[in-house]
Amino acid sequence: MKKEKIIFAFFVIPIFLFSASLKHLRFDRSKNPNPAFSQQQIKYLNEGQPLHPKAIHNVQDQVSAKFQPALSEKSREATGSAYRSRKLKRKLQAGSKDFRSERDRKQNPSVFRQKIKYLNEGRPFRYKGPHYVPDQVLVKFKPTLSEQMIKATIKAYRSRELKRIPRIDIYKLQIPENISLEEMLFMLRRNPDVEYAEPNYIAYITVTPNDTLFDYQYALYNEAQEIGPPGSPKGKEGRDIKATTAWKETKGDEEIIIAVVDTGVDLEHPDIKNKIHSSGYDFVNDDSDATDDFAHGTHVAGIAAAETHNSEGIAGVAWNCKILPVKVMDDLGEGTYGDMIEGIIWAADNGADVINLSLGGDLPSQSLEAALKYAYDKDIVIVASTGNDGGAVLYPAAYDDYCLAVAATDYNDLRADWSNFGPEVDVAAPGVRIVSLVPTWYWGPGSLPYAYGDGTSMAAPHVAGMAALIKSIKPWLTAAEIMNVIRYSADDVNSANNFGKDGFIGYGRINMEKGLVPIKVEPLK
Amino acid sequence: MKKIYILFLAILLTLVFTPFSSAQPEEEGLFQAVTIKLGVGFEYFSRTLSWDEEKYDTEPKLKSYFFTFNTEFELKKGFSLSAIFGYSSSNYHLTFRELDFSIELESGGIGGYLFGGEIKKSIIYTEKLEIDGLGQFYYYLGTRKEWDITDLAVEGTVDGKPRWMRASIGPVFTYTEFDSFHPYLSLSFNKLWGSFKMDQTVQDSKSSERKKTSGKGSFCTSLGVIYKLTDAFSLKAEANFFPHKNLEEILGVNLGLMFKAMYSF
Repeated sequence: MKKEKIIFAFFVIPIFLFSASLKHLRFDRSKNPNPAFSQQQIKYLNEGQPLHPKAIHNVQDQVSAKFQPALSEKSREATGSAYRSRKLKRKLQAGSKDFRSERDRKQNPSVFRQKIKYLNEGRPFRYKGPHYVPDQVLVKFKPTLSEQMIKATIKAYRSRELKRIPRIDIYKLQIPENISLEEMLFMLRRNPDVEYAEPNYIAYITVTPNDTLFDYQYALYNEAQEIGPPGSPKGKEGRDIKATTAWKETKGDEEIIIAVVDTGVDLEHPDIKNKIHSSGYDFVNDDSDATDDFAHGTHVAGIAAAETHNSEGIAGVAWNCKILPVKVMDDLGEGTYGDMIEGIIWAADNGADVINLSLGGDLPSQSLEAALKYAYDKDIVIVASTGNDGGAVLYPAAYDDYCLAVAATDYNDLRADWSNFGPEVDVAAPGVRIVSLVPTWYWGPGSLPYAYGDGTSMAAPHVAGMAALIKSIKPWLTAAEIMNVIRYSADDVNSANNFGKDGFIGYGRINMEKGLVPIKVEPLK
Repeated sequence: MKKIYILFLAILLTLVFTPFSSAQPEEEGLFQAVTIKLGVGFEYFSRTLSWDEEKYDTEPKLKSYFFTFNTEFELKKGFSLSAIFGYSSSNYHLTFRELDFSIELESGGIGGYLFGGEIKKSIIYTEKLEIDGLGQFYYYLGTRKEWDITDLAVEGTVDGKPRWMRASIGPVFTYTEFDSFHPYLSLSFNKLWGSFKMDQTVQDSKSSERKKTSGKGSFCTSLGVIYKLTDAFSLKAEANFFPHKNLEEILGVNLGLMFKAMYSF
């Protein structure tokens, strides 16, 4: 460079803003299923009293003992003989087939997703596109305007008439390419000859199930409907677990299994028989047929995962997930900790992803805690009811490290006064006037095999269903992470009196929408 | 993606080494007639993004505004190299579904640094028409930004750090009939790609997700004009159109604008 040069600084900063961001308008069809059944036919379980299925505190002639691992089998038997005791059963874990092993290998979420079978070719029934046609508007002109004037007006807006809906005189117009929908709507709405103008919205399949009793399930979608026959109580709108919104995100994966460790399940009930993973196991009678001879387990299983959108009965929280029945309670709704422990371990070894324990006892047990730990270490989410005595939280729900302890609320989001409380309570879910299945033999001929039920037993399966849905779309999450999602996404519905986590409803009443649907995050304004 | 990089590299190298070939006249020596141009620019673009996740019901978008300083070295008549640096504000609309709590992010402006380069080589020159080959590369490195997750039972935040790169190459057809007013048309292969790493903290739960994004559509048509106020001072304005297929699989167009003022001495 030969010449010396002078540097001038100059700035020209023309600022142009493009503001063509379309607001995504949503069109949610309100649901209004029409129950075909006579509302009078649904009866209460247990004559309207909260159900108290409990593990017996202790069996008078049995104890459970865990020997040091180093002790040989012979030494164990000798020790048993020394105490003049007889070994009834030993839980053999090593030889049991672990159906989870294949899934456990699939740590990579993307690989996992490809192998999972979903309905609708791997996608939920969810509309993917925009919520309106981007280049069309629907316009209603003032009736005083002649057809010639209307055509001239359309031309003035450089739009094209695509269709006229004659009965109501609505014009469907195609707007010019260089004008955004908002701009066109703005201009049309300012025109005094236009009665109204709006986007041409796109309707899509809703996720409201067509189950005939869905209208009674305020817990899933509460629109202040009467919960039962005319004159029945009704709650407040929106006091629900937001199931219908969450189902837009997922309806669950049929490979996700909820073990209902309870009184068994009616394997032939028309509203759940297609959702049964296997006939399960009966630890009361020691056979492979976990048929319900009490009704409690069927009711619980129905809440969690009754067959949904089958034009019959009720909707389950986890539409597509399966039920694994495990019978540990007898025909009186009672059972031993021993059977419960066996049931938990068997469920963990036989493919359960979620275990629902709508049962409990007053006293702690190390064996029970060990069984819970065994399942928890396999990344199984354990959900347990707190109890219906208005007292302290029952076991196993009180084992805070391994269980989500679930209290009960009603159709107004108020805690049920009989719902047990204590620092172990994690969340609450609706547990008052919950309609669900009962075994087909329960009411006898001529009655529908459904019933209302009250209790934290009814609250827990709502949470188990939610856990199954989370596991369905995020199979890489650990049990602890899923439990945290359920806890932290809850609505603190008693914050007026007890702000934050409290001993009555824990973090609050569960909210499936927040736990499953992407939460909108924006910069602070 | 590797093939694209290799293609870009090959074209850039070709453009770089062309003036050094023996076919070029060497009247004044290679660097004897170096002209330096300094300038400032403003650019905006909006691009629809895509990623490997199928599930989304709103189109992911990136809108970016950037302010740049440009230094152009005209090493030889018809051959120039530019260095670009500046500040950018990028606004993302993305959904993260692999975090413990899925989030739909409307990020607002995320400030960041912008670096880039440009290479221009005259290919054909007539009295009325000039055809140049133009290659550009921009790299945006966003700063970390935090957002609150409201409505949860406990406090939660997400913080993220985006980055994107944009590379384009193609011919520029400039009409040079007028003295001070040179309209031009450019057709380019234009690729946008990047990533967004998001970390989430909700009470004691921590999770993170890295989302790889790319702009939908790979071609850009630009219309622009260079206005020479004086021999040394010129203004440049350009409108960019990025055709792509939108969610409904019909043709959509993303837009961009660019203004630049250059002073040569």
